Amino acid sequence: MPSAKTQLVQAVLTWDYNLIFPCLLAIRLLITLTGVQSILEKNHQLTTPLTSYANLQEGIYLFNRGINPYDGGYFRHSPLFLSLFSTILPNTKSTAYIIWTLCDGIAAWALVQIWRARQGISTSSRDLLITTSYLFNPYLVLPSLALSTSTFENTFLLLCIMFASQGKASFALLTLALLVHLSLSTVVLIVPVILLLLSTPKSQLASPHANPVDFRKGLHLLGEYLVYFFILIFTSTLIAGNWNWVSQTWGTTLTLPDLTPNIGLWWYFFTEMFDHFRPFFLMVFSVHLLIYIAPICIKFQYDPLFALFVLIGITNISKAYPTLADPGVFLTMISIFPELYPYFQHPIVTTLLHLHASLLLPLFHQLWLVQGTGNANFFYASTLVLACANGAALRDCIWAGLRIALGPEKEGYIVVQE
Amino acid sequence: MTDVQPQKPIKRILARFNRFLTPAENASELRIRRRNKTLGALTRRIGTIRLVLFVCGYLWMLALPSDRLARRVWIDENALQPNRVDVHWNWGEVHTADRYLDDLENLRDQNATSDQRAQYLLSQFQKLGLPSSTQKYHFSASSGDIQGSNAFAILSSPRVSGTEAMVISASWLSRTGDGEGQLNLRGVATVLSLAGYLNRYAHWSKDLIFIINDGYLDGMQAWLSAYYGVSQPNLHAEPLEIVSGVIWAALCVDYPGHSYSHLGIFHEGLNGRLPNQDLVTSLYYVASSNSPVIMYDHLDSRDVPDRRDELDPIPLWVPRVMRDMPDVRAYAYRAMNLLRHIGYQARGRASGVHGLFHQYRVDAITLFAYPATGPYGFHAIGRSVEGTLRAANNMLERLHASFFFYLLPVHHEFIQIGKYLPSAILISVAMIFGGLKIWSDAGWTRSSIIEQKVTSEPTWTRRRRPVIPSLLIVLATHLMGTLLFFVVKSSWFVPRYMSTAPILFITFTSLPPLITIFLPPPTVDEATTAPLSSLLKAFNLCIASTIISIISVLNFSMAASLAVFLGIPLSISSSSPNPLPRVFKYFSYALLGLGWLLFGSNEPKSAIRDWEMFGGWFAPFVCIVYAPLVFQAAIVCLQPQ
Repeated sequence: MPSAKTQLVQAVLTWDYNLIFPCLLAIRLLITLTGVQSILEKNHQLTTPLTSYANLQEGIYLFNRGINPYDGGYFRHSPLFLSLFSTILPNTKSTAYIIWTLCDGIAAWALVQIWRARQGISTSSRDLLITTSYLFNPYLVLPSLALSTSTFENTFLLLCIMFASQGKASFALLTLALLVHLSLSTVVLIVPVILLLLSTPKSQLASPHANPVDFRKGLHLLGEYLVYFFILIFTSTLIAGNWNWVSQTWGTTLTLPDLTPNIGLWWYFFTEMFDHFRPFFLMVFSVHLLIYIAPICIKFQYDPLFALFVLIGITNISKAYPTLADPGVFLTMISIFPELYPYFQHPIVTTLLHLHASLLLPLFHQLWLVQGTGNANFFYASTLVLACANGAALRDCIWAGLRIALGPEKEGYIVVQE
Repeated sequence: MTDVQPQKPIKRILARFNRFLTPAENASELRIRRRNKTLGALTRRIGTIRLVLFVCGYLWMLALPSDRLARRVWIDENALQPNRVDVHWNWGEVHTADRYLDDLENLRDQNATSDQRAQYLLSQFQKLGLPSSTQKYHFSASSGDIQGSNAFAILSSPRVSGTEAMVISASWLSRTGDGEGQLNLRGVATVLSLAGYLNRYAHWSKDLIFIINDGYLDGMQAWLSAYYGVSQPNLHAEPLEIVSGVIWAALCVDYPGHSYSHLGIFHEGLNGRLPNQDLVTSLYYVASSNSPVIMYDHLDSRDVPDRRDELDPIPLWVPRVMRDMPDVRAYAYRAMNLLRHIGYQARGRASGVHGLFHQYRVDAITLFAYPATGPYGFHAIGRSVEGTLRAANNMLERLHASFFFYLLPVHHEFIQIGKYLPSAILISVAMIFGGLKIWSDAGWTRSSIIEQKVTSEPTWTRRRRPVIPSLLIVLATHLMGTLLFFVVKSSWFVPRYMSTAPILFITFTSLPPLITIFLPPPTVDEATTAPLSSLLKAFNLCIASTIISIISVLNFSMAASLAVFLGIPLSISSSSPNPLPRVFKYFSYALLGLGWLLFGSNEPKSAIRDWEMFGGWFAPFVCIVYAPLVFQAAIVCLQPQ
């Protein structure tokens, strides 16, 4: 039974949080007034051909004039964006900043809800930290300022996890269908989301146990997901008028026709490759993402939220067209797993790697494409540093997630993995 | 059994290797022991390793002027083919230049205004039949307004359709004394006569743009801003009436004296950018067949023995025997050149008008005619410019990216990136090792003191590390630096420099201690929580090291200077039990970080002017990055132990 005092503290905290949250959003909006975004908009680290706002505008322009934007080889956004921005949502620059900031706000709120669901509490002193770590993570702020649609993907991702943690199956599966529709590589998240719906978001990392899964129910959920997914396909085809959008959106993720540099590992590899190896390596790179699903979901079956988190980390390192928002959302999600912190092996090394990567990326991008005193190898090298940094963060999290079950260290004992 | 055959050495090694691979004991136990042994050996010796890294790094820096690290220059781009053509510039052109010079001297004697000069230049260009124009500009800067008028002409290439261009320019003021008064009349006369002369030949595959810019850097900044359509709030520049294509190379002629004895090469650009080395080498190949070439305006005292006392860079306290050694003299001359280079590059200052071109991906250098009574004049400089232009004219694609990273200790030898970069990186590694060691030490404490009688061996227990407070201090210092920058660049600061700079120093030095006084006193139980100062120092070292290693790729001179100014000072910052040494240490660091406010008045002023007029990054870098890093170390010293 909580005492009156703790109740009061709780009340003050909630009130504080409800007050501070809009303030943080307002600060985010104020940043857009400074005009920094104009230099970010076409930055390769913040937008890709699949998420760029300029491309979206071109598509909407063509669409509004009755030309199918998917007939050209340029527009690679989902038809849902076309219909949204030409009907419900206003399509001007100034409203765009409001929409994108609101999306970030919703995502941050969803992240707090996930945290609360995981802890089984209605409010906590950590809420503010989690919100700030989402709203002011530079990896997330910058793509949002550049109006990259990866902001929407992150919002749907966190909403989906939130609904799944709260046990709202239909909402979770619908947002998941939207997410996969927007970004095909998130298909690896279907299994852990269904597992999360079948189980609990509560932290079970410290007490691993076999988790009997009700496969029948799981299949039902999968069926429901597929229904939503096909409805979205049907809607998209209705909007676009024909099937061309499939090859232009999902096909791009799988066949990599656009080699515009980004922070991922694919573009340089496929720029350098002889054409007759392309199909094979495209298959290898795409399938590579799928092989992690089973081992991660089996190993962390007792804590599907953590499995989901790890899979997000893996996907976001190795997807075809990532922006900084992809590693950003993974790093921010670390804030809802505070039980891991004492067991991180090299947190400072990981942090320093990220510091180096985030300084090297813009520097080498500048040297190559603006100053002209470097070449593509420079930027590629810095994307490798970023991949190492993300890999180190992922490794730290997985290690800590496994290590936590063994309890605190004892003098004279060492934990090894065989 | 003693009659065992002695094994052959190779078999013995194989057997040992086999034992290593298939150990008899528990494999993972062995692996852990081995790993602990290695790690233990490393961490125990981390102090020594750091010391070795520091010593190696600094010694490497000292070794940079040695000729062992340098190698002879060569041309990477085969298309350039410098000095493989006949140049036709001859005494007739020298005569033309002399006539232009007479006119220019007349203008000078009449105290002609910028507009009159520009009109004269325009009329001369028009007489040559070249499309030409003038451009007026007006700068408003906190150090005073500047206005002027540029004149320029474009010679259309007879062979292609104006998509590519080269620039030959001379500024009205010479670079001698950083554009403070000395006129570049002969440079202007050279460009004018070149305009008439080069017009006669049909082998130009790029347009030639002749620019006589008013002032020193200001005129060219206005012209380039208009050419590239870049707007700048404090600059009003007329749009250019005629334009050409992409500019690939630019040569700036600076000829202030009556005649010259050596041709100096200036190549450092704004924000530490350098032109492609191939262009510098081409100029050297071409020019050295016309007149001796030097770096900057540094005459080698070995070449002019009669002026040795005046030119010798070796200080007098060095024994005469050493000063006479050829190796020492060579080292001293190269060191002087490198220090000059570091002075320009680290401060991000353009060493001549050419420096403004690099930001637009134009390779540019200044040819400086070292003033003397002879023996060279228009004849040699004209041939040098013509020959270099012919080489640049052969350029088919951008010069190779790898040739932007070099150091030139002398004009005919260069140091490759792999031979100079490690010096700064070693120091940065030493710093990051220090930071990591302090970080990991902060997480542990010896708990044996209380229960000493029970355990003979001290037991180590973990303790909390307050990461967020120390990161907040780091953030606060950088915010303070940003505030300082906005104060320093504001328009009221520079005119009142002498009176306001000490006040600023006192304010910003007393700000951190004042804030720490008002903060709640840390309730530190050292057994459970690491002291703030050690975490702050760990972060300070790690961030400084990261910045040094990242900057080293962009601007080696700045990274090397940071390694010198931050390397040892940040590593030895520590608190002490008495308040007096703490305050003393704090003030020493404050002087290191903000001493420029007190002791330099020209340096900060010109850095601010560079920022205002040309977008030089040195002033904001010092305020927002360098000074806060030093202040973090100062706060470490201020923390009670």
